[in-house]
Amino acid sequence: MNCIEHENISGEFRVFDVRSNKRKHAHVQEKYTRPPANPPREKIMPTDQDWPSVWPGPRTFHPASVPLTVRQGMDKNQKIAPPSKYANAELMKIPNFLHLTPPAVKRHCDAIKKFCTPWPNELDTDENINKHFPLKIITNDYCYSSPKIRDPKARVVTFKFPLSAMTLNNHAEDKIKRLLGERFNQETGEVTLVTDRCPMRRQNYDYNMYLLVALYYESMNVEEWEAEKQEEDMEYYDWEKNPSKKAYIALKYWPKPVDEIKIDEISLENDEKAQNYKEAVTDLFNKGETTHNLFKYKEAVLKIVNDEFQNLDVGNMCQ
Amino acid sequence: MIILSVNKSLRLIELCAVKQFTSYRNFSLTSVCEAHKQAGKYRTTRNRSRPLTYEMANLPTTIAHYKSWNSWNTSCMFEGVRPAETAVEDEFIRKFITGTWHNLFVSEIIIKRQYNIIRVAGIIYRGIQQRKMYFLIGYSEELLSYWLQCPVKLELQTVSSRKDVIFKYI
Repeated sequence: MNCIEHENISGEFRVFDVRSNKRKHAHVQEKYTRPPANPPREKIMPTDQDWPSVWPGPRTFHPASVPLTVRQGMDKNQKIAPPSKYANAELMKIPNFLHLTPPAVKRHCDAIKKFCTPWPNELDTDENINKHFPLKIITNDYCYSSPKIRDPKARVVTFKFPLSAMTLNNHAEDKIKRLLGERFNQETGEVTLVTDRCPMRRQNYDYNMYLLVALYYESMNVEEWEAEKQEEDMEYYDWEKNPSKKAYIALKYWPKPVDEIKIDEISLENDEKAQNYKEAVTDLFNKGETTHNLFKYKEAVLKIVNDEFQNLDVGNMCQ
Repeated sequence: MIILSVNKSLRLIELCAVKQFTSYRNFSLTSVCEAHKQAGKYRTTRNRSRPLTYEMANLPTTIAHYKSWNSWNTSCMFEGVRPAETAVEDEFIRKFITGTWHNLFVSEIIIKRQYNIIRVAGIIYRGIQQRKMYFLIGYSEELLSYWLQCPVKLELQTVSSRKDVIFKYI
């Protein structure tokens, strides 16, 4: 039993003094007061401080470090003022660009300037660039907010170049177009090679390079069976190999018989009328009978006929 | 009469069809679903004594209008990678932080991912000593970095009173 005996015991029974017990054991517990928190740093910031040193990298918004009176949030009923920057979770959510102030960007640029080389003066226009560097190599890099840095789509390599950048003869150009198929754009004359069959980008790049070389040399090759090609097998109209040329030459050299002249040997490169006529006929066959093509054909024919008739002795013709 | 009513209803259908084609095709709910929507709603009290933070005061439907997301990452973008893993990891981070900083967070836990860095942000109450806070920051960052195999940063803001984050009472 936890009781205390009093010294002045009177009588038979001991007295249990509750108060003295309490008094004896009572001790005043000092209430702990937390030391006051420091005032926010923004209050003591000088106005001419170096901001990129205060906020050097991307970071979540902190009201005590940013000396701006920003507010974010809105009350639908417009009864409460937008919450201030202190204890405002919305400001912490949105990405900020406080580390990308113009002075900071300038400082970054100055720092990496020493690694840059000047742009070549010769490549001043797009035409020059395309002329000297016709091959475009296109790859994509993917950046995700995840610990995974690789993306399977990054392996795809695309080569783009104008077919005119290759030095090809007529046969080779025709053949390479057949080999390319839909990879060749008829309208723009651009070749697009896309490779994604290998797992790594480097491998796809190497494969594309191989394809480029193989295409070139394969188109240059003339196989034995290619000589067996007849006029009926032609996919397009070639004026040089058609009776149209023969008829034109017959008209031009009339009244000499055509058989005497070797048609293949005659060059019509300098004959403007012939070139116009050739173009008109070729377009008519290859591009279709449009109004424009028909008109061009008419003009070419009329020019030939008019000129030839003027040159001819009409009396001769009548005989 | 019957013919008349049929005509009326036909016209109504026509009008509805016109409206459907002219307006955007939105996600539609039946009125029953609309009436029983409960998520993210708080009951009002008679004496207006229920405190709400800004996050709580705005319905989930107002995300991207009045408030923004608590998780920021690229997983849910078109052809984004690891959407499921990201969601599970975020949930894990939330549980861990809530348990480690017991009864200290007064806001939602915001998880922002950038490259392979995970930033965990939020507002905490100054309920513990500074040195304990510093310990907990290091402890959380270290353990989460070890589990998730990428750098984790805790970017916290402290408030002296829990009432600081209250937006309104309903």
